[in-house]
Amino acid sequence: MSAVEVPTEKWTGKIHEVKLGGNGRKSVVVGGENMLPFLHFEGKIPNKPIIAIEVQDRNPTDWSPHLISVWGDVLADPGAWAKKAVEYGADIIALRLRSAHPEEANTGASEAKKSVDTVLSAVDVPVIVLGPGVAEKDNEVLVAASEAAKGQRIALGNCEEKNHRTIAASCLADGHIAIAKTPIDLNLAKQLNILLCDVGLSTDSILMDPTTGALGYGIEYCYSVMERLRLAALGGDNMAAMPMFCSAGEETWRQKESKITEGLPPTWGDHLERSLTWEGITAIMLLNAGANIIALRHPDTVTLAKASIDKLMSA
Amino acid sequence: MSRFIAKSAIRGANGVVAKADEMLKSALQKHGGEAPVAFVDKEGVGSTFFLPTIYAYTGHKIEKLSDMTPTLEYCKSLVPPVPGDNLWLPYLGETADAGVSTLFAEEMIKAIEFVEGKQPEKRNGFTFNGPISDVQTRSWGIQMVDGSMPGFAAVIGAAKSNEVAVKIVRELQSKGQLVFLSGSNNGRSIVDQLLEEGVELGYNTFTVPFGTDTESTVYALGYAARAAISFGGVTPGNFREILLYNKFRCFAFALCLGPMDDLKWATGAGAITYGFPAILDTVTPNILPTGITRYEHVVSMPFDDIPGKDDMERAQRLVQRCIEVRGIKIKIPSVPIPVAYGPAFEGEVVRRADLRVEFGGKNGVCFELLSMKDPDDVEDGKFTVVGPDVDSFEEGSKIPLAIVVDVAGRKLQKDFEPVLERQIHHFVNGAEGIQHVGQRDITWIRFSKGAAGKGFTLKHIGDILHTNLHNSFGAIVDKVQVTIYTEEAKVRELIEQAREVYRERDIRTAGMTDEAVDTYYSCTLCQSFAPNHVCVINPERTGLCGAYSWLDCRASYEINPTGPNQPVPKGKTIDPVKGVWEGVNSFVFDHSNRAVERFTIYSLMDSPMTTCGCCECVMIVVPEANGVMIVSRDDYSMTPCGMTFTTLMGTVGGGQQTPGMMGHSKRYTLSGKFIPVEGGLKRVVWLSKNIKEEFADEFKEVCERIGEPDLIDKIADGTNATTVDELLPFLEGKGHPALTMESMI
Repeated sequence: MSAVEVPTEKWTGKIHEVKLGGNGRKSVVVGGENMLPFLHFEGKIPNKPIIAIEVQDRNPTDWSPHLISVWGDVLADPGAWAKKAVEYGADIIALRLRSAHPEEANTGASEAKKSVDTVLSAVDVPVIVLGPGVAEKDNEVLVAASEAAKGQRIALGNCEEKNHRTIAASCLADGHIAIAKTPIDLNLAKQLNILLCDVGLSTDSILMDPTTGALGYGIEYCYSVMERLRLAALGGDNMAAMPMFCSAGEETWRQKESKITEGLPPTWGDHLERSLTWEGITAIMLLNAGANIIALRHPDTVTLAKASIDKLMSA
Repeated sequence: MSRFIAKSAIRGANGVVAKADEMLKSALQKHGGEAPVAFVDKEGVGSTFFLPTIYAYTGHKIEKLSDMTPTLEYCKSLVPPVPGDNLWLPYLGETADAGVSTLFAEEMIKAIEFVEGKQPEKRNGFTFNGPISDVQTRSWGIQMVDGSMPGFAAVIGAAKSNEVAVKIVRELQSKGQLVFLSGSNNGRSIVDQLLEEGVELGYNTFTVPFGTDTESTVYALGYAARAAISFGGVTPGNFREILLYNKFRCFAFALCLGPMDDLKWATGAGAITYGFPAILDTVTPNILPTGITRYEHVVSMPFDDIPGKDDMERAQRLVQRCIEVRGIKIKIPSVPIPVAYGPAFEGEVVRRADLRVEFGGKNGVCFELLSMKDPDDVEDGKFTVVGPDVDSFEEGSKIPLAIVVDVAGRKLQKDFEPVLERQIHHFVNGAEGIQHVGQRDITWIRFSKGAAGKGFTLKHIGDILHTNLHNSFGAIVDKVQVTIYTEEAKVRELIEQAREVYRERDIRTAGMTDEAVDTYYSCTLCQSFAPNHVCVINPERTGLCGAYSWLDCRASYEINPTGPNQPVPKGKTIDPVKGVWEGVNSFVFDHSNRAVERFTIYSLMDSPMTTCGCCECVMIVVPEANGVMIVSRDDYSMTPCGMTFTTLMGTVGGGQQTPGMMGHSKRYTLSGKFIPVEGGLKRVVWLSKNIKEEFADEFKEVCERIGEPDLIDKIADGTNATTVDELLPFLEGKGHPALTMESMI
């Protein structure tokens, strides 16, 4: 009996490498793989996926008590929070300028600049700055963030179709990376990448946020779109080959499994354990779908996700 | 190329280079070669781009006076000799060289003036801005890249009067243009005019006074050069890239007011190398052909000859012309009407009890016609109501109405008229309290009491169409003018003309065959859920959803070149009968994630087109009857193949290629290219009744055309067969042609 030869896929494409940080700051490179996630027999994965910890520019008093207790006082100070996040293993900080949201404090450019300065001077790891997710406000605060971080090669999100030119212009002027966010759709994701390249951004300055849901909230659909993007990229489509950023913590901590504590059947188990499971499983699924950067909220999930990455990398 | 302009520009260049040479010599003597050179604005904010125009073009960094010497030598070598009277061909190349050396000389002159403390210019107690700082360049640069500020207008000289000067600046600002001011005529500058009228100048008002000499115009080009380096990622010295960036991305132009002189022409030649055209309000030669600039290079528009009832209107038209020459697209933030507007109101019905006035409908006369016109015959934003308007109509009355829309655009094509016209329905319906049904001469519009009460009038239909055509179709539409008629005699007269146009369009569309074009279009809109599916749309087969015709796709591609409708060149014909082309195959292969290798346009049995899931109908072979049956999405009942539409859809959809099965649009059944390989409509043995009824007249024509006038009656439907056992006797009884045709399998 002769040995069965396992057929392996020969991919022609490769994910673009994107470098964050540098210029005095620690740098990290994501992307570069020419294989499906962790199928090491297909190719190479030169840069392992990394974990970002989400930091907000205002004290998130509405967060789960488990998050509030694990982070403690630092929640009131983005600089201290970011420092502690690095101690907990963050490869990168994802600073969300939530106070700029019109329904929150509706803060503007100067506050954004201040928060970015605070975080940049508190830590030496690379930084992602996320706007409040309202295009007009994103423009206002991200342009200010961009200027404050000139030369530090941060990533700026959200860059959506309606505001992509402004964000792209800022990235071009200050040497940053745009996080192109599209609503769970392969074509829209590709199109936004093409539009960003048209404005003049190069492929090493774009990350994609294909939009993710939490476990039980459409994760399979997100998984499928991410997988499709990856297949297209490995098949040679340059405009689908941007590394992917997923904001998993944000998604899971707002679902009822993480939020509700009362009136539940006993089979739902311990609240903390359930919340962590939700964030952890979501993160691991996204890693397997091809995510290159995952933003999380709880330090224990960070530990879990990092351990999983190490195992998957050595498999 | 105009010999007059070329000669004048070359003369101007020689003059200004000589002037710079003199100034540099004297400055070197007085201040020494080590004297530092830097550009700063009146606030003292500077630039890290040295002398930006020179730096951008050559990569040469001028930091002290002696750094200018090589640049000046270069200028001298670049500037061509003034052509003699007998030389007839100096031209584009020499003039461009003259222009570039002029910009360099001007920039050095300004820099020397800085060394001598003469910049920014001061006059009558007013300090000019001088060059734009880097900080300001960045802030405006972002707005230029994101499109909120399309570009800048360099206004040079002085306007006919103070009022005209103010009007021109206001008009430019209303188009989102940044305004730079420089130059003068006989000592009078537009800056003087604006200051006398109390117009505030400065960064805050987007109106920047550079100086009163022509040389200071170079600050505008230095600004453009820095924008290209900062936002175009272009390295200094890579002048070709910098100029291309400005040509395609910076919508700037020069507006020269008052008489031209050699130096102005020379500066203009420099601006043209950036792709910036010049519009002049005096009599001069034109340079109309496209070349270095996107469209015209030099357009003369003598102010007093501009049509208009007064100077204000003339100023407005002058600016409008500038916008056209530079190809600037205008976005209007919201529809300026007194009622709410949005997609939420699209399905709204205005009932009799709530009716203020209606147009068209039963026994009414109402039509809409959109036509492409020559740009000079369309005045953008002009809305005219001929006849009485809403306030004079009796409540609940039915009024005749004609909506005549004239559009113009450089990229507009006659074929796009129906594509745009069909949008009127969708656009008008978005207004709260307004109902729009139908199109062409079966249009029916109702205004509710609420809408009329808030002040909605017929003129607002003009606003709606103007705003939406610009915002949604700005890529192909530059100008929109709307005329609305409500006098019965006039409407009846015009409707006849409109019907003639509709007839011509129909004939043209009917005559549009696959053979007549060399490019088909793709549609990958559905790849979000059917990742391997690609629609290839040819003139004789619309998309399987029925929503996209070949023309729609072509227009869609013009409007959104990176969108889901891409051109598919047919390429080499592999099989003309089955409809196989090399270009189509390779496109489909590349865009189906390499899942579909081959694709026939004309066959059902051999590699048919895949189906996403949106098809209006599914066609499936019925081997027992040697024919095919077609089930409509609106037909919920069981069919002779043993499957309902839903089951069929589940089988054929998802981007799989299934020989013998195919999704398609309802109209495809009527096409001259309906499964020609299998024999066309004669193969159809069963057809959902709703399709038969919907297209009864059309089917009659098709049946006659193919020489089977009774065919439609020989085709079964749900009322006479829901199983194969019922189908066969029916077909035999009727003598259906499929039974005796060549075997399908």
